[in-house]
Amino acid sequence: MLKITDLEKIYRTEDIETVALNKLSLEVKKGEFVAIMGPSGCGKSTLLNIIGMLDDAEKGSFMFNGEEIIHFNERRRADLRKRNIGFVFQSFNLIDELTVYENVELPLLYLGVDAAERKQKVEAVLEKVQIMHRRNHFPQQLSGGQQQRCAVARAVVNTPKLILADEPTGNLDSTNGNEVMQLLTELNEAGTTVIMVTHSEHDARFAHRIIRLLDGKVVMENILG
Amino acid sequence: MFKNHLKIALRILLRNKVYSFINIAGLALGIAAFLLILEYVSLEKSVNQFHANLPTMFRLLNQNSKGESWAQVEPGWATKAQERFPEIKSYCRVAESVGQGVVKYEAKNVSFREKKVAYSESNFFTFFSFPLIKGSASALQKPDVVFVAASVAKKYFDQENPIGKTLTLYNQFGKKDYLVEGVFANMGDLSDIQLDFVFSLETLKNPANLNDNSWANLTNLDSQYIDTYFQLNQNTDYLALEGKLNVLRKELSKENDDITFRLQPFSEIHLASSFSDTYPHNGNIKYVFILSGIAFLILLIAWFNYINLSTANALKRANEVGVRKVIGATRNNLVMQFLGESILVNLLAFIGAIFLVTLLQPFFNEIIQKNLSLSTLLSSSLWIIGLGLLIIGSVASGIYTAWGLANFKLIETLKGKLHKSAKGIFLRKSLVVTQFSISIVLIIVTLIIFSQLKHMQNQDLGMNIKQLLVIKGPEIGKDSTFKNRVNAFENDIANLNFVNDYCTSGSVPSNWYNFTTVGFTSAKSKTGDEQKPYSFVTIGHKFLKTYDIPLKAGRSFTEQECDVEWNNNSKVLLNEKALEQLGFKSANEAVNAKIKWDERYLDVIGVVKDYHHKGLQTAIDPMIFYPFNSSSYLTIKLAGENMNSKVATLENVFKKHFSGNPFEFFFMSENFNKQYETESQYSTLFTMASVWAIFIACMGLFGLATFTVESRTKEIGIRKILGASVFSIVQLLSKDFLILVSIAILIACPIAYYFMHQWLQDFASRINIEWWYFVVAGVLALAIALLTVGFQATKSALMNPVKSLRTE
Repeated sequence: MLKITDLEKIYRTEDIETVALNKLSLEVKKGEFVAIMGPSGCGKSTLLNIIGMLDDAEKGSFMFNGEEIIHFNERRRADLRKRNIGFVFQSFNLIDELTVYENVELPLLYLGVDAAERKQKVEAVLEKVQIMHRRNHFPQQLSGGQQQRCAVARAVVNTPKLILADEPTGNLDSTNGNEVMQLLTELNEAGTTVIMVTHSEHDARFAHRIIRLLDGKVVMENILG
Repeated sequence: MFKNHLKIALRILLRNKVYSFINIAGLALGIAAFLLILEYVSLEKSVNQFHANLPTMFRLLNQNSKGESWAQVEPGWATKAQERFPEIKSYCRVAESVGQGVVKYEAKNVSFREKKVAYSESNFFTFFSFPLIKGSASALQKPDVVFVAASVAKKYFDQENPIGKTLTLYNQFGKKDYLVEGVFANMGDLSDIQLDFVFSLETLKNPANLNDNSWANLTNLDSQYIDTYFQLNQNTDYLALEGKLNVLRKELSKENDDITFRLQPFSEIHLASSFSDTYPHNGNIKYVFILSGIAFLILLIAWFNYINLSTANALKRANEVGVRKVIGATRNNLVMQFLGESILVNLLAFIGAIFLVTLLQPFFNEIIQKNLSLSTLLSSSLWIIGLGLLIIGSVASGIYTAWGLANFKLIETLKGKLHKSAKGIFLRKSLVVTQFSISIVLIIVTLIIFSQLKHMQNQDLGMNIKQLLVIKGPEIGKDSTFKNRVNAFENDIANLNFVNDYCTSGSVPSNWYNFTTVGFTSAKSKTGDEQKPYSFVTIGHKFLKTYDIPLKAGRSFTEQECDVEWNNNSKVLLNEKALEQLGFKSANEAVNAKIKWDERYLDVIGVVKDYHHKGLQTAIDPMIFYPFNSSSYLTIKLAGENMNSKVATLENVFKKHFSGNPFEFFFMSENFNKQYETESQYSTLFTMASVWAIFIACMGLFGLATFTVESRTKEIGIRKILGASVFSIVQLLSKDFLILVSIAILIACPIAYYFMHQWLQDFASRINIEWWYFVVAGVLALAIALLTVGFQATKSALMNPVKSLRTE
């Protein structure tokens, strides 16, 4: 699915240079569930942002579905992103002024999907994450777990090939956290590739493979049963 | 997609109620001011434009070598010109003001003094496009006929049919009966020609009707009193015709003067075509430009508010922008969304503005002395420009905000880290500075206009006009017993216990002079001095005493001197300005000297100290006082209070001697101050504009302060935990804004100084622009800003620091 070779990313302020990714290489196959772990500042989030095409790298190669995209401009990256990738964030990032239903519908609106199909897809995914009964509520009216389920629904509503999750359980208690992990597992089993950044060893065990980063490099890989 | 945008726009407006209110109300106030002023400008632009023959209509003017021009020309030229030049299709002469007098409806014994009176050419109602309600336009071809305005018909005849009734006109041409043959619609705000009575000019063609006023002969080429309009054939080069008219004038004029003809397009009679146009105008292009400028500036302040508040608010929405981008929004999607929001806000503001205009219309009309409404906007095509401006403004401010938002860096927006972009902050500061500069300029302008007005009202006039009541003399019944009745009336007045003094005169202060004329010289005069004008006032023997005007030398007229026939009199008084102009070194030198008026010699018996016969806008003119028992005005100096009963007593005395005449009076001080009406209007208008501007600017400031405080909540919390006092935090938060207002003061002062210095040049007696005007305006602006920001700052400084840290 994606192959990263010798990726470099350096953050510069006026007099400090911070190396976020240091010739990092990584490959993720289609249908895999990969967890990325490491201490704060090791480059996890930077890596996820680059994979999610939200940010660009300085050097190296990034092959996505067999295509080199490292030199893509913002517009092309955005186009590739909206067709292929769904995001789940630690802080949910739902739009407060939109209801659950409207939040989930938004990616389809931006893709130009017609109304009937939108309705059918949104309702199906809301059923799947079990918040159909909350469809007309606003995010602030939901519990954290419900909000994250809504965010997951929004990430998968246009059936992306890849889901990127940035500490999806970081703001949840263990019960709700487990529910969200269960959901990601189900999606993965249905064929979606999942890459997840996490601090939690418990969550990481849901993945097939754990990649550990330190100072912008892969220092260890664990393959789980 | 559109529905989604509209939905979220509405929800966002409802969620941030304070922000939405400030934004919409600020814009609404700005647009309302703009619309009100646009109404006025539209009206001004459309005056006189309704005449069907407009493109081919011209007015004949006389112009002297100094470039001054006026519309009263000699009546004989119109016929002469049309005979000679075939490009003149027709002409229409209108003799205004010479016909003023008292109109009486004998059958009901009602009479009124009428000012909007003219003798007009027989084609008046076909030449101009004043609609007739009753009668046929051709009736004016007959002598002794009058057409009246609808309001006049109501006033004299009430429900009766006016056609066929007889009205009697008493004026300088004596007493004459006229048959009412037509009623025309009231001429209204859209016409510069303002007449209530149109008498047939044919009447004056009969010498018997001129009452020995041979100057009024309609064929004469030497007395200027009639307005002359031409209708030219299509595509006539009117400037070429003007040249030919001047050749004709040189050829036929007996007077060897320096006067030339000018032709003025009728469409430019109300508003000049440019500032350099010196022809007489009834409207004021300066006023129109100043008002348009104010309207635009207020609108600008409102738009700046909008941009400032929206961009500040946008920072709070950075996260939303990021999320939308992540899930697939393109930049266009986002620009469209934010543009949609701005259009919604502008639309709501527009609706609010319409509501405000309807609400404020009566007050505005009162100030501007016009009958305006929203429908006035449609009277000229100006509304298209206005609407265009509104749309461009709202779209431009919307696009600016939208563009800024849509261009946020994706990663940063997701982290919500967008609080400080140097460029954005600089722009916001510049906009605040501009807003306050405009407001402060308006405050200074208001202060100076107000001071000038007060200065004029309180200035020593050189006379005492307090407690003076002026009665206009009778017009009806000037028969053989008239002189005796005037004497009896004066005796009765003198015997009233509340009358301190009284006098007669041919004109009174603030009501112009009897006339202004040339041809005076003294032994000291140089050649050319005979062309210098002097203003003439005929006075009775008690005039100077009643008005408390002191003499500098010599004496005033005696009662006997005032009884002498006009042409037999040989005594005059001068004022100091006339003394100077005649070349005398001192008052004593002038007394008993002789001056020459054309072929007559006159003795100067005294010199009057200069006083302000007219308002303080103009310098004191050289004046000559002539003894004459005129019955035009009777000025009475009253004692004590309770004017109403005294006026009633005076009316009874007046009616006793002059029955059938309307009793008309005014208080001199009121009449004098009427001369400052324009300045007074300016003063009210600028007060309103500056209050309006500063209010909108402060709403914006309040909004900005709110955002600043919100974005610095964490900083405030930390500072408090570290021991900062409430005062130091208020100071911290207010400082930045006060610096901006201070910069605005520095920018505003020279601009205001420049404009007000120019404005004051129009006044002969003017105030100096003192330093304290700027200090007062500056302190006021600072105080208002401090109050606005301080409220928010104090609120946040008083917040529990733990809470403020947690909300971050």
